[in-house]
Amino acid sequence: MAAAMELRCWGGDWGLPSVHTESLIVLAYAKFSGAKVTVSPIDWTWKTLTATVPELLCEDSAVQEPAQILNFLRKRRFNADYELSARQGADTMAYIALLEEKLLPALLHTFWVDAENYANLTRPWFASRSPFPLNFLVPSRHANTALSRILLTKGEAPLHRITEVEGKIYSDAKECLNLLSYRLGTANYFFGNFSPLQSHLRQLDNLTSFCDNILAVYFNSDHPCPPPPVQETMAANLQKLTQLVNKESNMIEKMDDNLRSSPQHKPHRSEPKPSLATSKHSLLDTLGKVYGSHQQQL
Amino acid sequence: MSLAAEAFVSQMAAAEPWPESATLYQPLKEDQILLSDCASSLAVQAYLRMCGLPVQVVCRANAEYMSPSGKIPFIHVGNQVVSELGPIVQFTKAKGNSLSDGLDDVQRAEMKAYMELVNNMLLTAELYIQWCDDPTAAEISRPRYSSPYSWPLSNILAYQKQWEVRRKMNAIGWGGKTLEQVYEDVSQCCQALSQRLGTQPYFFNKQPTELDALVFGHLFTILTTRLTSTELAERIKSYSNLLSFCRRIEQTYFEDKSS
Repeated sequence: MAAAMELRCWGGDWGLPSVHTESLIVLAYAKFSGAKVTVSPIDWTWKTLTATVPELLCEDSAVQEPAQILNFLRKRRFNADYELSARQGADTMAYIALLEEKLLPALLHTFWVDAENYANLTRPWFASRSPFPLNFLVPSRHANTALSRILLTKGEAPLHRITEVEGKIYSDAKECLNLLSYRLGTANYFFGNFSPLQSHLRQLDNLTSFCDNILAVYFNSDHPCPPPPVQETMAANLQKLTQLVNKESNMIEKMDDNLRSSPQHKPHRSEPKPSLATSKHSLLDTLGKVYGSHQQQL
Repeated sequence: MSLAAEAFVSQMAAAEPWPESATLYQPLKEDQILLSDCASSLAVQAYLRMCGLPVQVVCRANAEYMSPSGKIPFIHVGNQVVSELGPIVQFTKAKGNSLSDGLDDVQRAEMKAYMELVNNMLLTAELYIQWCDDPTAAEISRPRYSSPYSWPLSNILAYQKQWEVRRKMNAIGWGGKTLEQVYEDVSQCCQALSQRLGTQPYFFNKQPTELDALVFGHLFTILTTRLTSTELAERIKSYSNLLSFCRRIEQTYFEDKSS
């Protein structure tokens, strides 16, 4: 139980311990369950190409993939889901599946496929963290994997062009965010009222980093600091998280419009800043926008 | 379809009532259809019966190619063709028949989440077992899939389909899994479904919803299909409330069908 555990993952930036979604999931779960894990980032090493991250090393066994790592931690009695009822555990699995199916393609797309984001943000970051000559290989390998995953799972006939796939992905993601915000409501956590959190909330943490990225890159406006998942007491911050989630779906809707530029939607393209400023005014305001436009879409 | 086109089709759909001549197309039942397609088709049939909408089931060897999205099953209603359970549910909703109207927002969110769970786990596991497990692929899937065609077309089509499915499995990370791990995932999924169902007659208490139709389609097909090993069916049989759930839906909605 007291064996030292080492976690290999990508390093952190933008206010988060790690910019890699799967590494973030494992890190957050380790913190919540109280497991003592030493983090060794693989930045600037040759492991950026050769290793599969995240990877947990314990004694002489190596575990890969977030799901396996979480199982491994649970078996070692570092269990953040202990207090949940059976029904809540079942609901957790369902929400994780929903996130993977609806939200993950949009995340992958925004980070790795969208040309502007990739060129200005993702590739420079990953390239700068990899040693020469890997900085040419690592980002493009991730991008290819992401693109092929999106095309294979979402790009089936009759959606042949990438622009149609993009539209579908973002509308699915928006719907998923709405569903999650219904589920969270005004509670502090998805399940129960104490620090054990499920991995879908960790995905939400990644959403805040993603939405902060967009804010930083596109809008350059002030934004509330995202709560790093390492903090144990997140009560008030999670309220802010809900607001950010709603703002997030607002932004995804704008990207949706930008991608499709259909005449039946209001032209948001020229005014991103004022809309974002208004959306900061009140939670009700943002909710109204989200649900209003959602109704319009249907 | 783009979203604007979808909205337009919904409006057109709402204009006409459900005709008597609606048909559902699937591959040939005795020789050709595979586990995953049979499950999806049964789910749609169960859903339409729960809504009380009559539909005739027609078997065609080229059903997969006729479908607008390449997936089975698809329905032909009036002058519109809609495939897959999700779009079909939206289509019937546009015509005024919906099973999930009585749910509030949180329940609807849960229902969608569970439907994704079933699609993610059960459907993917079925595809894996059919196409990525070599004994099953060689003995059952490839011969059945290519049975309407003569050599060499049969070989080409079967291997092409297998290659496509394996590529997809690799892309979503299931390529490296062993059969044991897949069975384990199916067990976990069934455990989640069993815990959610509890002792209720349907997932959302008294009324069946599209989630019930989807779960019934998959579980019933797995239980009644002969594969190279019975491991999958055995895993499901260990959850007694899921078994009685399947039996109840079969008796309520399919009783006129000879088993």
